[in-house]
Amino acid sequence: MKDAFSTYHPLVNFIYFAVVILFSMFLMHPVFLCISFASAFLYSLRLNGKRALKFNLLFLVPFLLVMALLNPLFNHQGVTILFYASSGNPITLEAVLYGFAAALMFVSVICWFSCYNAVMTSDKFLYLFGRVIPALSLVFSMVLRFVPRFKAQICVITRAQACMGRDLHSGNLWQRMKNGVQILSIMVTWALEHSIETATSMKSRGYGLPGRTVFSIFYPEKRDRIFLLLFFALSVFILAGFACGIVFVRYYPALGFTGFAPVPVIFYIGYLALCLLPLIIDLVEEHQWKRFVSIT
Amino acid sequence: MQYDATVTNKKTRTVLTGLLFLLAVPILLAVGVFILHDRSYYLISLLLIICSMIPFVWLFERRKPQARELVVLATLIALAVAGRAAFFMLPQVKPVIAIVILAAVCLGAESGFLVGAMTGFVSNFFFGQGPWTPWQMFCFGLIGYLAGVLVQSGWLPAKKIPLCIFGGLATFLIYGGIMDPAAVLVAQGYLSWQTVLVAYGAGVWFNLIHAVSTVVFLFLFYGPLTQKLERVKNKYGLLDG
Amino acid sequence: METFRIDNLSFTYPLAIRPALAGIDLAVEQGEFLLLCGFSGCGKSTLLRHLKTALAPHGQKSGQIDFNGVDLQEVGLREQSQKIGFVVQSPEEQIVTDKVWHELAFGLESLGYDQQTIRLRVAEMASFFGIQNWFHEDVATLSGGQKQLLNLASIMAMQPEVLILDEPTGQLDPIAALDFLQTVKRINRELGVTVILSEQRLEEVFPLADRVVVMDRGKMIAEGLPLEVGNQLKKQEHEMFYALPSPMQIHAAVVGDLPCPVTVREGRRWLDQICGPYTEAGEPVAATSQNLSRQEEVVTLKEVYFKYEKEQPDVIKGLNLTVRQGEFLAVVGGNGTGKSTALMLMSGLLKPYRGKVLLNGKAVASIPGKERFWQNLGVLPQDPQALFVKKTVMLDLLEVLSDQKLSEYEKELKINEVATLTEITSLLAMHPYDLSGGEQQRAALAKILLLDPRILLLDEPTKGMDARFKRIFAAILQNLQSGGVTIVLVSHDVEFCARYAERCALFFDGSAISVGEAKEFFCGNSFYTTAANRMARHRFPQAVTTEDVIKACNTTRP
Repeated sequence: MKDAFSTYHPLVNFIYFAVVILFSMFLMHPVFLCISFASAFLYSLRLNGKRALKFNLLFLVPFLLVMALLNPLFNHQGVTILFYASSGNPITLEAVLYGFAAALMFVSVICWFSCYNAVMTSDKFLYLFGRVIPALSLVFSMVLRFVPRFKAQICVITRAQACMGRDLHSGNLWQRMKNGVQILSIMVTWALEHSIETATSMKSRGYGLPGRTVFSIFYPEKRDRIFLLLFFALSVFILAGFACGIVFVRYYPALGFTGFAPVPVIFYIGYLALCLLPLIIDLVEEHQWKRFVSIT
Repeated sequence: MQYDATVTNKKTRTVLTGLLFLLAVPILLAVGVFILHDRSYYLISLLLIICSMIPFVWLFERRKPQARELVVLATLIALAVAGRAAFFMLPQVKPVIAIVILAAVCLGAESGFLVGAMTGFVSNFFFGQGPWTPWQMFCFGLIGYLAGVLVQSGWLPAKKIPLCIFGGLATFLIYGGIMDPAAVLVAQGYLSWQTVLVAYGAGVWFNLIHAVSTVVFLFLFYGPLTQKLERVKNKYGLLDG
Repeated sequence: METFRIDNLSFTYPLAIRPALAGIDLAVEQGEFLLLCGFSGCGKSTLLRHLKTALAPHGQKSGQIDFNGVDLQEVGLREQSQKIGFVVQSPEEQIVTDKVWHELAFGLESLGYDQQTIRLRVAEMASFFGIQNWFHEDVATLSGGQKQLLNLASIMAMQPEVLILDEPTGQLDPIAALDFLQTVKRINRELGVTVILSEQRLEEVFPLADRVVVMDRGKMIAEGLPLEVGNQLKKQEHEMFYALPSPMQIHAAVVGDLPCPVTVREGRRWLDQICGPYTEAGEPVAATSQNLSRQEEVVTLKEVYFKYEKEQPDVIKGLNLTVRQGEFLAVVGGNGTGKSTALMLMSGLLKPYRGKVLLNGKAVASIPGKERFWQNLGVLPQDPQALFVKKTVMLDLLEVLSDQKLSEYEKELKINEVATLTEITSLLAMHPYDLSGGEQQRAALAKILLLDPRILLLDEPTKGMDARFKRIFAAILQNLQSGGVTIVLVSHDVEFCARYAERCALFFDGSAISVGEAKEFFCGNSFYTTAANRMARHRFPQAVTTEDVIKACNTTRP
């Protein structure tokens, strides 16, 4: 089932992901990192189900550990020396911690991107940029149209060539390579020759006349505005927290960050709310739907 | 290659984009150093990359390209993307850079840049967008732009062997040279000499395979692709009005 | 009022010797449904493309075209884009964007309509064409028929006054083609849009047209009501006559002065009138048991099961089929019944997950590629363009022989032989993509024949071919067959199979549900059979082709 946030206006989707990903990259505060990672993890589960769980556990978690352990090998800043490596360089606690934080940052960014990929489908992206860069957006749309077609045609050509006794699985490496390029070569001719008719079709339907407009099937609604308002308020609040030094983090020379005093906790909650917004919306809408169904 | 009024027009445009490019970079670096105090490498580099691409996009949009040009660009981009997908089981064996270079040779530096950047962008719609997308776009675009400029200015003969050499070097030095540190930057949030060196060390084989595959693709593809583009250009009067 | 008025239009392509159009005079009335027919290369497309400046080919032109009483040259591009809708043959290439809704809006965007107007127009068109169910889909997920409907809808969204269609059903299967043509008729009837349509398959479209124009070599050779055209062509003894709907061909060959029937229904009535009172229903022939010839089996499929992916349903279910040495077997059946998949199983490109596919007694997939496709199996793909590599047909043919250890002279000899057989000798210097569809098909066949196949597998070779090319193609096949080549042909083209195949297999739901000698096979089917048979089966159940019916008519007439 499609999640509720995906049905919001593309601009809302895009702004949300852009800001959240930037926040995840720059707010290196450990609590913030954890919040971002946990939310991204949960949301990717909601969007991609089992596939996401498999990917996150098999790829992201090991990566996180490796990256965390690599940093101290190259970075010797920090005051708390744990031990000296065989090369004589000090391994510091701060570097280990920073390595861990950076890895967490990276992993949550990847996780957010996997959510972005599921929500920001190509047509939404096209909508956003269709007005700003109409010609390139059209190229983009055509490419999306051509790629599946070309892939299918590559299959057709590969089969046809195999029936000429030129398959990709027999003969020596050079032979196979040549057969492969032969297939691509046929593909290129096919694609270029067939593209002409597409251009004719565009011209025939008046492409190139002055005053072209852009049509879309997305319309902003009240809930989009409310979402944006709430989202901006939270973002400004969090940024203000960092700007005023209410929340801070420092890794070198010695680790220092705001802990769990009441004032910073408010900011943590704010950030948590921000990161969980899509999931919250989803839950709320699901609840509303259930109530709606039970009433009728 | 045919030179006429449109070509000189193209030349001035190429110079203009180069200038814009040269202006944007120092300004952004200055912003990074003086305002953000060099803290946010990633953000700065991201902005840098985006700014470097804006002039191309702007100029392309401004001259309101014809349907035929759009279709040929889209076809080349889609070929590169489909080509990348066709070889997906062989990591680093990608015809993308070869196609970008040949597009630049046949259609000019600007088109080369657009084919490259768009290929980077669109192929990630199939493989998944990530923080690496802007860098990929930039690298492919830059290689296309350079190939076009070098060929147009006569520095690089549009022949098979020189292009193969250029392709191999560009893949190894530009693509590998930028993407490896970019990976470090994305993963670590900052750059240091040691990490960059390690990244280069770890990536050298991948980059080598990538470079060799580009050379092979260029070698085998140069003849067919340029011939075919020329035919379409001639038969249908493409790209000249 | 006249939508188009064409006065003495002549046109010559650059470097061409003979004009593509010579002195065309034609007026198209508003709201008319005009059918333009003729063999490929007769100038139909050239003429149609002249009716829209944006599509007009380059070359030497003389004469005048008026649109709504104004010289077409004077009509602005914007007005032309909006008022003159144009649909061409290939459904694929006309689609520009990746989403159905975006494609519908494309023309309106170009014309600069505002969001609200486009929304309304797109909604209207989606409803009219029944597109709303796939409105949000990716174009890539649509079938060929749906794509062509989408093309039509996206043109109609601009509310054109005239709709020009250049062989719009050439790439569609018969059912999708019929669907499409009915939609065009609906547009003509319910919206009053003028329709100018060119077609190759005339059986379905003749009854729809108000007027028919037949062209040959750039000239109009016949013009009039659908039922008049047959006699005009008959008088000229023109080859186009054999492309006409079967009832018309039969009518013209049988002496009598009753009006010409166009549809099967009219044909039946006419037959009853001409053959006197209806006495005795001929016994429908029951499909006799297979005539097992003593020829050895070359291809055998035994209880074959196949599916493309594990989660998907079976495409081929328990298929049993044998192909015998030297025979001509036609595989017919609807879309998605597994015909083409069966062909690929025979070629060993796909492997069944259960059952056996044997080639001369050996499992086909286990034979290495070189051995399997050299002097053994030859496969002609549905899309001949999947075979063309080089810039001339000659180089393309030489390329096939590049692996062989033959001298230049031997190669040339071999190519000449094959080129003569496939009648492409005059085309050898041309670029493969500059050939017409039928010629491409023959050039592709020539490539395959250079591999000296003993068994030829053909996938829809007659798609988009005109009647003349079909006859040439059939002659080539018969020629090959007499040389001992076994032929297996997959086709939607019932008329072609009935005329030329020896044995037919009907596919349904992944297996061959009926196999028999061609004649008995078609007599036994009541729907899946030729138009001539459908028209005359109540009287002459044995008659399958038009010739059969004509003969029966002439002998039994009182």
